[in-house]
Amino acid sequence: MNSISGAQELAPANTPASWLTPQQSVWKRFKRHRGAIAGMIIFGALATLCIFAFLSPFDSEKSNLAEKFLPPSSTYLLGTDSLGRDLLTRILYGGRISLAVGGIAVAISLLIGVPVGALAGYYGGRIDSILMRVTDAFLSLPSFLVLILLAAMLREVELPIFQRNSVLTISLVIGILSWMTFARLVRAAFLTLREMDYVSAARALGGSDGRIMLGHILPNGIGVVIVEATLQLGYAIIQEAGLSFLNFGIQQPTPSWGNLIYTAQDHFTKYPWLAIFPGLAIFLTIISVNYIGDGLRDALDPYKVLERVGEWT
Amino acid sequence: MFTKKRTLLFLTFMVILSLTLVACGATPAPTTATDEPTAPSSEKSITIVIAEDPPTFNPMVADTGYDSLVMELVLLGMADIDPNGNVFPELAAELPTVENGGVTIDEEAGTMSVTWTMRDDIQWSDSTPVTADDVLFTWAAISDPVNGLWIPGIDYIDSVEQLSKYSFVVNYNAVYPGYLTQFGGEQLAIWPAHYCNLEQGFVAWDCGREPLSDGPFVLHDWIEGDHMTFHKNDKYYLAPKPEIDQVIVQIVPDDAVRKTMMLNGDADIDMWINANTAKDLEGSEGAKVSLSPTDRWLMRLYINLAEKGTVDSAATPHPILSDVNVRKAIRSAIDVDTIVNEIFHGLATPHWTEFFRPPYQCAVPRPAFDPEAAKAALESAGWKDTDGDGVRECRGCTTGAPDGYKMEMEFITYAEFGEPLELTQQLIAEMLGEIGIQMNITVVEGSILWDQAENGGIEQSGNFDVDIWDDGYAGVDPTDYIWELYSEEALVPGGGNNVMRYDNPEVDALIDEAYTLDEASRKETFCKIADILNEDVPIVYLFTTPNLEAYSARLVGVQSSVNDLVTWNIADWTLK
Amino acid sequence: MTTYILRRLIQTVGLLFILSVILFTLVNAAPGGPITAYAGRRPRPEQVERLKRQFGLDQPLPLQYVYWLVGNDWTKIDTDGDGIQDEPGARKGILRGDFGFSYRTRQPVLDEIAKRLPNTVTLMGITMFVALAIAIPLGIYSAIKQYSLFDFFATTFSFAGQAVPEFWLGLLLIIVFYAWLKNPVTGEPLLPSGGISSLDGGFSLSDRLAHLVLPVLTGTLGWIAWYSRFLRSSLLEILPLNYLKSARARGLTERKVIFKHALSNAMIPIVTLIALDLPYIFTGAVLIESIFAWPGMGRLYYQAAVDRDYPLLLAVLIIGAAFIILCNLVADTLYAYLDPRVRYE
Repeated sequence: MNSISGAQELAPANTPASWLTPQQSVWKRFKRHRGAIAGMIIFGALATLCIFAFLSPFDSEKSNLAEKFLPPSSTYLLGTDSLGRDLLTRILYGGRISLAVGGIAVAISLLIGVPVGALAGYYGGRIDSILMRVTDAFLSLPSFLVLILLAAMLREVELPIFQRNSVLTISLVIGILSWMTFARLVRAAFLTLREMDYVSAARALGGSDGRIMLGHILPNGIGVVIVEATLQLGYAIIQEAGLSFLNFGIQQPTPSWGNLIYTAQDHFTKYPWLAIFPGLAIFLTIISVNYIGDGLRDALDPYKVLERVGEWT
Repeated sequence: MFTKKRTLLFLTFMVILSLTLVACGATPAPTTATDEPTAPSSEKSITIVIAEDPPTFNPMVADTGYDSLVMELVLLGMADIDPNGNVFPELAAELPTVENGGVTIDEEAGTMSVTWTMRDDIQWSDSTPVTADDVLFTWAAISDPVNGLWIPGIDYIDSVEQLSKYSFVVNYNAVYPGYLTQFGGEQLAIWPAHYCNLEQGFVAWDCGREPLSDGPFVLHDWIEGDHMTFHKNDKYYLAPKPEIDQVIVQIVPDDAVRKTMMLNGDADIDMWINANTAKDLEGSEGAKVSLSPTDRWLMRLYINLAEKGTVDSAATPHPILSDVNVRKAIRSAIDVDTIVNEIFHGLATPHWTEFFRPPYQCAVPRPAFDPEAAKAALESAGWKDTDGDGVRECRGCTTGAPDGYKMEMEFITYAEFGEPLELTQQLIAEMLGEIGIQMNITVVEGSILWDQAENGGIEQSGNFDVDIWDDGYAGVDPTDYIWELYSEEALVPGGGNNVMRYDNPEVDALIDEAYTLDEASRKETFCKIADILNEDVPIVYLFTTPNLEAYSARLVGVQSSVNDLVTWNIADWTLK
Repeated sequence: MTTYILRRLIQTVGLLFILSVILFTLVNAAPGGPITAYAGRRPRPEQVERLKRQFGLDQPLPLQYVYWLVGNDWTKIDTDGDGIQDEPGARKGILRGDFGFSYRTRQPVLDEIAKRLPNTVTLMGITMFVALAIAIPLGIYSAIKQYSLFDFFATTFSFAGQAVPEFWLGLLLIIVFYAWLKNPVTGEPLLPSGGISSLDGGFSLSDRLAHLVLPVLTGTLGWIAWYSRFLRSSLLEILPLNYLKSARARGLTERKVIFKHALSNAMIPIVTLIALDLPYIFTGAVLIESIFAWPGMGRLYYQAAVDRDYPLLLAVLIIGAAFIILCNLVADTLYAYLDPRVRYE
């Protein structure tokens, strides 16, 4: 499932100008993947709409009780909710939150997983075995169950940055439980790459460990991390929605796609659009993100060197 | 290839394993409480859908409501309360009162004794008669220091003594107005002495999950998480009741699915539906909605008179809310009628005093909804919007807040109530925004809102500005409730529920006067308290909500109640 | 090999111990303790004190952990609240198989789990089985016909399966198959809304199967996507390899090459993947069980999280973790067993 970018990416820096740079060739291969391009376009459009949600002629919070529960029409493209607010506007604002949760959660996973994997893979030995035991411990947790537990607990903790039910808290919870894949991927890449001649050369020239890891190894092992990160983005959005459905997610009035569906539950039979459209937004986002990930995988790793899931132990 | 056979072998093994698992798992063994044969399917059967399993038949253990629901099917108390607040006897032959000599009061010592006489024609489903032994047994189980539990009124009881096979006396160390439901009501039943094992303890004994019945139905089987089946109790003392032969209690966690089942005619009762569901079901053919004749829950804004994070309203008054004029302005800026009609679909009633239901109703004038007056009141209280951002600042306010202090506060509610309360909260924040008070909305889990101060409970530790939820008292006696909410002694964290940190000696004195059995004088006292609270506004009362229950149109006799679960009169239900 | 397994088993014990400390602290540190959940909205101090004593929460946290782990029958505790530690404790601790009693029902935690486990095993077992039955042919065919129209649709279907929030799909399916569509003969809803079986009448296989359709359909989509994508890429990996070329060169039909040679190797990672996914058979699927009223482990756990039923939460978490670790070990061992190229020291 998870592939690892191998030696073929290690193009020397002094490539003749007539050759394609690695970036160009990646882009060329990516372009051939139609699904990925479609995914890019859809995801890009959705994200842009969400970012520019404030351009909507409707207020996302102010009630308009005279016009509640209106079905989709030319005025309200996706209808209105139980306080008469435009559903499309709410979904776009909700998208900001859901995408932010996805983005921050992935960032947190990367911030934990990449250094853990890099240190373990680069130094090996005792450091490796300690870090991998920690990773194993996290992997041994029944993740959705622990996610429920953490979300239930942390959402009521009030700290300066981590306010109750905040986007940051939920993202942190999701991120903390999903960094292990990154750690394992990065470790595997480092294990291979640290033996490469050019790394030995850099070491011989007196490069510091930090410099070698960040400057020489990481850039060449990053492909697989990017692929995994796109997939995790979608995963985090679904996780948040699942938590919201159990009422453990982000709370109203901050709209997220998850809690829009949750609050629409009361009206599922009578005003189904209230639940259907936010669900569709999640669906579209994740399917396009998955296509992007698939395209990236093909582009970054043309030979599809397969890495078995359990082999990094 | 070299591994082909092994792989195939393994796959075959996996397939066999999973099929075995499926076959084994398919039939969970039911917990059979009695040895009755399975009833024929042609009989009258109804289905009640609820969201989660009752933990046991003893509501005192976890108080989920679902336990009370099934307790009403199988167990009786000494007396119960009907939807209008009238107490009626169950195991008791008649209700003890001062008039019939059942209650004697020692004015000097301030104590009282209640003598109960029981019916002699009620028996458990194994034909053993229900006697005072069972009451004494139940009391012993409750008052056990290790496995017992706190129950309302337990602090006032000195002793319970048996007088004869069918009578006993309860000795109180005070005048306790709630004595009639001491061994009854929606939470407490009398348990069989010869069947339950006292050593296992009141909270954990097996008979709490496989009860012996003296009620209208007998538990037949219970498959946890799925359903419970009850059959008619042939030995029920009001035979030939119940008319219904079989009751199935089915567990369906999702609200929307339960509603759909009601609409499809696959369920006969859906308890505790919210206003949205009631609205949707009203128009349908197969389902009806029962409203309790009185309301119990009064939606209100709790206002913290002490500064957020502190618990002493005298030493650290709230920079905004300690001014009564601000509180009154908040009250007159909220359009209760709009909330009631638009969000609760008319299934709520505006009320503006704690004493809104019989027997203690007080005529307090309704505060007007007048945002303009509210704005003016805030202006004159020294809260003006001088920087034009739409939010007022302290410009000469009297609360001790620094000049320029913004009128911005946190506004909390709890998540479990569901959409109607969240929308109410959002609308109120909008209405207060209109008069220049910025309310930042938070939704938290109920247990965090109501927890002890040492566990970080938001209300108890004073860590809030304003919060909104539905509160009210059970039964017909508000005295303890009022004491816990408004008295000075209840003001310290852990001492009670006076989380507003409201301190008024006049109210304290009146509360003390309310501990009497004289209903007329109690009413006068309560109404004096109501008038003071109306002036001091430690709480903004908004509206009351009834209990709502959905029932199928083929069912006759269902009456929702705030004093008990909907099954309180299940013995009287009939099918069309 | 034996040494390897033994070493891993010893590591497992250590890992479980660390996890038990972390999980115990985590669960107990949660704001909003169990007391408010069991003593009503605004509990009386007397009530609180008594419940704490009955739940053992009156002890300091480290001591609570010790009691939970090894029991308290070796010491005396205060059971009646008089401040004197005069009664011997009754708990045996999880090391001796006593996971305590559930706060909610006051029944032994293991009894609660035993009642729910068969249902979850049934649902998840069938879900995984159906997923594999569909995913394996799907994966093979789209690998053989890479970049064909079939492959395109299979890929799209897989991604769609992963992209649908399952609770949302579940609700939609109930609306469509239970509320809207009716059986043309009987006029009954086409499929039941949930539960294990109909409550009138006895056991009937068709009734059981009808109740399984929607939850299995909802749950299986993600698995199909997961397994079929995995099999596809693992086959694509192998197809260009030399030994297959030589097999082809020996004149074997493509069909034989794929089914006799390529597939058996491509299945190795799948088999270990299944082993890694087995823990779900214990932990269940919270969302699906909630929507389809399926009385399984997931719902039990969710209810326990809502009710702050610490002993039950901890039991499910610890047993779940142990199960995951064990399945990992099985997966690694299987891999070595099935693929002679891998050897553990």
